[in-house]
Amino acid sequence: MLFDLSFALSTVPKIAGALWTSILVALLSCIGASLLGFGLEIARRSNRVMRYAMRFLIDFIRSTPLLVQLYFFYFVLPSYGIKLPALAIGVIAISIYYSGYLAEVFKAGIDGVKPGQFEAARALGLKRLQTIILVIAPQMLRNIAAPMGNYFIGIFKSTPYLAAIAVYEAFGAALDISSDTFRYTEPMVVVGTIFLAIALVLAWLVRRLEEHLLISAKR
Amino acid sequence: MSFFEVLSGIFQGLNVTLTVTALGMLYAVPFAFAAGIAQHCWRGLAYGAVTALIEFWRSTSVVILLYGFYYTLPSFGLRLSGITVGSMVLGLHIGAYGSQAVRGALQALDKGQSEAGRSLGLRGWQILMLIELPQALLAMVPTFINQFIQLVKGTALVSLVTLTDMTFRAKEISQLFYDPPKVYFALLVAYFILCYPATIIGRWVERKVGAGRKLDHAV
Repeated sequence: MLFDLSFALSTVPKIAGALWTSILVALLSCIGASLLGFGLEIARRSNRVMRYAMRFLIDFIRSTPLLVQLYFFYFVLPSYGIKLPALAIGVIAISIYYSGYLAEVFKAGIDGVKPGQFEAARALGLKRLQTIILVIAPQMLRNIAAPMGNYFIGIFKSTPYLAAIAVYEAFGAALDISSDTFRYTEPMVVVGTIFLAIALVLAWLVRRLEEHLLISAKR
Repeated sequence: MSFFEVLSGIFQGLNVTLTVTALGMLYAVPFAFAAGIAQHCWRGLAYGAVTALIEFWRSTSVVILLYGFYYTLPSFGLRLSGITVGSMVLGLHIGAYGSQAVRGALQALDKGQSEAGRSLGLRGWQILMLIELPQALLAMVPTFINQFIQLVKGTALVSLVTLTDMTFRAKEISQLFYDPPKVYFALLVAYFILCYPATIIGRWVERKVGAGRKLDHAV
């Protein structure tokens, strides 16, 4: 039989159970990537040397595949005596990979804030870091919420990469079922549909947010 | 093994990486134009159908797509090589993102352009080929370059379906001469050498064209 519906349904509980791991990885990676990306962008703005160093680092992160970065941390860290669970390594790798992209988003966001805001903050005696965190960041969030949201969806869609380093998340669970039963069609269709459905819902939410921010910006 | 011996060992997989990239482009570019133009021109049911097709390729996680097609097509009687499936899946995934650049560039044109064409008595396809596409092409270039980089990086995934690309070679070398830090750093450098020129060109073109990275994404 090409597609056995009852077998497909029987795989759902196991895959959906492991979906929590995928969601946990995605949430932690969103936080990690945002903080790291913001840090990279702030560092890039600090002085001339850092500007070139950080630009190169961001380009390096963006020019190498996520899978290779994942392998790098997974196989290299233990050689230096750092033993972390695979899930933590996955979160670190996804955070670093997407921080390169989010740094560019933050760059556009900070550049989009009117220069008068920087001048006003300086007139009030705020230091550079205070200016960016207290004055600029809250204002730029409105402009970059939509692109950030799209990268967050990208992070969620990247969690199946973690199956390559043996993390038991939704896709890993599906592969597990496949290697036990020698049936690939049903588990792949089930896990693919779950990810597609979640990604589409998230994309719809980001579009709604974007429209909402456009309307409230016009007021 | 010295670092350069490792690097040259990794580059023995370059032909597979480049083959998958080139074949992937053969899927990505036509699909991007066909789907993007269709989304721009069609209405109603046809529009819904092409949007669903794009969303399927764009919003499903590419790892799941690759495994799904590679392992389930044989049970439908289609026995395709890893190169064929890998380049098709990666190409259509990237092409679906590219289609949004095509559609976005076409829709960003002033409405007066197509109205002027119609008032000159041109047919729909003539307006598209002679007036709209030539003007829109330039705006697509930055996204296309960024998507090309995503495709090159995406080819690392074919190592998971047993193709001996650069990533697969690195794993082999790492198993033979147990030295993961050197091997996986060399692998990062190998991909960086491939993608960095495109990153630089992309940044330069983007500055010239002035279009944002809003359609950019990470595989």
